[in-house]
Amino acid sequence: MINVFRYTLARFRGQILGWGLGLFLLGLLVVPFYDIIVEQREQFEQLLKNYPPEFVAFFGGIDAFATPEGYLSVEFFSYMPLILGIFSVLAGSGLLASDEEKGTLDLVMAHPLSRTALFLGRLLAFVIATLAILALSWLSFVVAMNWSALDVGWGEMALPYLSLLGVLLLFGSLALLLSMLLPSRRLAAMTAGFLLVASFFITSLARIDENLEGIANLSPLNYYQSGEAILGLNGEWLLGLLAAAALFAILAWWRFERRDIRVGGEGSWRLSIPWRRVAVRGG
Amino acid sequence: MNQPMAITIRGLTKFYGKAPALRGVDLEVGRGEIFGFLGPNGAGKTTTIRCMLDLIRPNGGTIRVLGLDPQAEPVAVRARVGYLPGELRLEDNLTVEGALRYFARLRGGRVDWGFVRELAERLDLDLKPAIKNLSHGNKQKVGVVQALMHRPELLLLDEPTLGLDPLMQHEVLHLIAEARAEEATVFFSSHIMSEVQAVAERVAMIRRGEIVEVAETASLINRALRRARVRFGQPVDGKLLGNVPGVTVLSQDGTSVLLQVAGEMNGLIKALATLPVRDFETERPSLEEIFLAHYESDLGEAK
Repeated sequence: MINVFRYTLARFRGQILGWGLGLFLLGLLVVPFYDIIVEQREQFEQLLKNYPPEFVAFFGGIDAFATPEGYLSVEFFSYMPLILGIFSVLAGSGLLASDEEKGTLDLVMAHPLSRTALFLGRLLAFVIATLAILALSWLSFVVAMNWSALDVGWGEMALPYLSLLGVLLLFGSLALLLSMLLPSRRLAAMTAGFLLVASFFITSLARIDENLEGIANLSPLNYYQSGEAILGLNGEWLLGLLAAAALFAILAWWRFERRDIRVGGEGSWRLSIPWRRVAVRGG
Repeated sequence: MNQPMAITIRGLTKFYGKAPALRGVDLEVGRGEIFGFLGPNGAGKTTTIRCMLDLIRPNGGTIRVLGLDPQAEPVAVRARVGYLPGELRLEDNLTVEGALRYFARLRGGRVDWGFVRELAERLDLDLKPAIKNLSHGNKQKVGVVQALMHRPELLLLDEPTLGLDPLMQHEVLHLIAEARAEEATVFFSSHIMSEVQAVAERVAMIRRGEIVEVAETASLINRALRRARVRFGQPVDGKLLGNVPGVTVLSQDGTSVLLQVAGEMNGLIKALATLPVRDFETERPSLEEIFLAHYESDLGEAK
């Protein structure tokens, strides 16, 4: 498993650097802007009052824009699930299906390596890659806050990232599960991406329309705390997100253990029914 | 203690959706054998091999590889097997050496790197280039090296010489023979009948997911119909030869007669002894002709 983990993590190297450094630079840009907001607080608050209340509510109540948690929510954390969701959905859906479609999984699986070891090695590499990207982003805020009025401790600053981690792992493992169930990685990524965007809009619209609160309770992003986590992490919500991620990962593993490995290319629409499989018994 | 057979397959069935790929395949391959597995595209060769490695799951039947059930003990089976897929795909971003070292690590590092270099040298394979820059033939060489590098007890080779030039095809056949000399079992599929005929002791022919023939390569060729061309000093009545049991007159052109002989030649030779024979030639069919005879109904349908 450790060889698979190392190799997969090495393959994530480019994505870790690309996403991580991109977010690092974004953090360095976002933090100094907070000082301008604070200096011109009254003008900004006046400006916000002119916006329709629905618009303000959609973005999670930007009336608290001048507070650290409000500012970080609006300027960074509110849209991070969508931005980094692209990474997690693509990485999750391609974790096994990408190599299978390229035809390279066939030979790897012919080595003395159990399906469980391959699955866990790759999943662990995905988790570590996600953590590394978030850590680089977190580091940029911690560094930049030394020269800013944005005064949040490094520990508090890590809390929204934990909430974001929960969301990313959930959608990554959902994409992985879908790649095990649907005929192609492309379709799995599209479906998981659609669910991510739908979750974002349902959660945001539920702040405007109370009638949507029921369905919003089913939306993973309803349990994402954004910048508000600085004031205190909701452990139950985080555990819920992580538990859902673990459930999707277990189902994906269960399916991977039982399915045929394709020689290459995308699969067909035929969905095999696991319990119809007749086990080969000793004779 | 008797060692189990290298491969034992009983009643193996596999469906892709509703389409049957294997319909009750039965096979036995002994230890230390070189076994050729023949069949046209889509006959079930690759499916059979992939079932042996637990890459795909059969719908019925039993498989034993080196005495182990691949579904129950896939890791133990794969540790003792070297596999070359028919449609070899390698990670493009690695170098040849990087790919081989990765495969060696997946085998727990139990690979003699000196042997890897020796194999690469014999196949004229440079270890430095990136896989993405290799020709199809050179990628195939990487596949051959990774299949052999841990000196497996059983080699499962799906079209091992595909894309190789004749010199390298010859070298791969040498490597197969050497593996066998070190008591490895070799199970390989091929479309190149001459190479199967050259190295395989026994062959199985598969058609539409069913084994249609399993025989020793030599006996398969020996017991097949032979052709004989006889030239006489003067015109003779071909019917005289046609009356000999097992002999059919295919054509007669003046003093030359083309015959087809089934079984022993004894009767024909006795009949010819009474005639003014000037020249007598016989030819055995190649494995390819036997193969084509088995599949001519498929070819007819395809036309």
